[in-house]
Amino acid sequence: MLFSKECKKILHSFTYILYCALVILMVVSQYFGESGGKVYPPVKGGDDYGYKIEEDHDIIMSSATVALTTEYFANRYVCYPFGFYKAVHLNNKEQAEVEKYISELSGLDSKELIDIKNNSNIYNYTDGTHYYSDYNVMDVPVSETLTYERFTEIMGDVDDILGGGSDYAVESLVVRFSRIPMTYEDAVEDYNELIEDDKITGAYARLFSDYAGIVLAIVPVFVAAALTAADRRRKMNELIYSRKTSSFRLVFTRYASLVTMMFIPVFLLIVIAFVQLLSMYSGEKMDMSVMFTLPTFWLLPNIMTASAIGMLVTELFSGGAAILVQFVWWFMGLMMAGTAGLDGMIGKYTFICRHNSLGMRRAFFMNWDNFVFNRIFYIIISLAAAVVAVLIYDMKRGGRFDGIRLFGKNSIFRRKA
Amino acid sequence: MVSGCLARIVYSDVKHNFLIHYIVAVCVLLVSPVFFSLSMLDSVLAAQPLEVFVPLIGIVLMTPVFLPEQNDSIYDVVRSRKVDHNIVCILRLLFSVIISAVMIGAYVLFMKHCDSDVTIKHFIGSFANAFILGAVGFTFAGLSRNVIIGYMASVIYYMLNFTLGTKLKDFYLFSMIHGGFEEKKCLLIVASVLIIFTLTSRKIIDSR
Repeated sequence: MLFSKECKKILHSFTYILYCALVILMVVSQYFGESGGKVYPPVKGGDDYGYKIEEDHDIIMSSATVALTTEYFANRYVCYPFGFYKAVHLNNKEQAEVEKYISELSGLDSKELIDIKNNSNIYNYTDGTHYYSDYNVMDVPVSETLTYERFTEIMGDVDDILGGGSDYAVESLVVRFSRIPMTYEDAVEDYNELIEDDKITGAYARLFSDYAGIVLAIVPVFVAAALTAADRRRKMNELIYSRKTSSFRLVFTRYASLVTMMFIPVFLLIVIAFVQLLSMYSGEKMDMSVMFTLPTFWLLPNIMTASAIGMLVTELFSGGAAILVQFVWWFMGLMMAGTAGLDGMIGKYTFICRHNSLGMRRAFFMNWDNFVFNRIFYIIISLAAAVVAVLIYDMKRGGRFDGIRLFGKNSIFRRKA
Repeated sequence: MVSGCLARIVYSDVKHNFLIHYIVAVCVLLVSPVFFSLSMLDSVLAAQPLEVFVPLIGIVLMTPVFLPEQNDSIYDVVRSRKVDHNIVCILRLLFSVIISAVMIGAYVLFMKHCDSDVTIKHFIGSFANAFILGAVGFTFAGLSRNVIIGYMASVIYYMLNFTLGTKLKDFYLFSMIHGGFEEKKCLLIVASVLIIFTLTSRKIIDSR
């Protein structure tokens, strides 16, 4: 009864209409409009079959050592800590540390490194404003005694010295330094993976979730904040507070109705995507369930977390504060996901999981354990946030707490007369 | 005397209603060096923080113009006063726009000081983005009488710039990153129209 009332309230709210409009717009324009078309078998003799990630430790160590040495000589390290360009210049002490690491990677001492620097061609370039000099380092040997484990440790340390977001971050090494162009045979294998291993739906389910996940990491907060703030706005608080129903039941019913209502348009879009797949690949063998289970497992934690944060911060501060918190989280998550790479580079705590490709199945399954941990982690976090929201609501109900206000009457910064 | 009264309104508004928004806007600018490099950038790279991040202050400063009277009881009290409520809102909006311009100007000058290649175009481009984002929030908040809807509308518009990108054509916010500037004129005009439309609509609705 209470659940259906809350659902009706959400259904008639303007924020929910905007939410539906944005989710539909995002999926239609990005998934249906651009990337979700039929994949055809590769044609022999093509120019470009894309690239693949081959976790070849020798290639990774060699390419990364050359790249690091080149940037070390110019003392200009390009980083993308939040997806945006940042040039890092190190001081003498930090440069000496990097040099020590390069010596360990290459087995060369300072003098030999200087020789490489002197023998490298310098090429000058300008962007129209500034002039830069870079060394065209062709080859730096990799020490024969260096193990891959030690190599990743060194790269992690270098990334720390650079402040993060560099190509040398351990989680980026494989993607940055082990991309190789695909041959026709590789392209055929990739296509066969889509048909045989992914049973078609697996690949499309990942792409669908990738696009929908971007909006579902932020927009639910508006619906949740508006619904939570509505009681205060309409002066219904006292009336609801005086009811017999427990705070747990009130808050969790509202939470459940928010999550259910916000998942409905997503589910309908999944059904439409599935019907489209049936018509595109009629006659092919498909795994029917994956198109429903994977997006649900991928996207539901986003809706649950954004809604729970919206409710919690609105109860604690205000709707505006909830939007600010979720926006900062979303912005940083989106930029960091972009920096890590859009092909299955999913960390244990990445809020916005990305896999912007129908192929690259292996790259996604390389991080499968992280993905499962990640989604379960956010389900637990969201439930914990909802429980805290219950406690705050209960305190407000009992008159022991009235939310935190920074300014105005009864605020924490109000000067006493 | 009238100007003294208006000055008191502005002072009181800033003190009681808008200080938190100004603090948030300043925090947005102060936190930007965490995400972006600000020194020794060429014209295109300098446009990144100025188009992507700095304009967010427009949402922070312009969307909550109607927030203090969002509560119906307060709104009824305010409407009964001698000074027209619309004039108070216009004053708040003007002040928010001026503060946005000053903050963006200071930011651009700081980048110039850090040896980045920024010009008056960067200032205008960044301000145009802040103005349109704020105007979208202002319009939706004003017409729906709910500031959350205002924030939602401007964040959706901002988000669409990441997903739809150049498909937005004249409404694309990040054009300077791609070497363009013409779009900014359109943004400034549309933002002005939105503001005039909102104020007029509210006046008509209130008079009924």
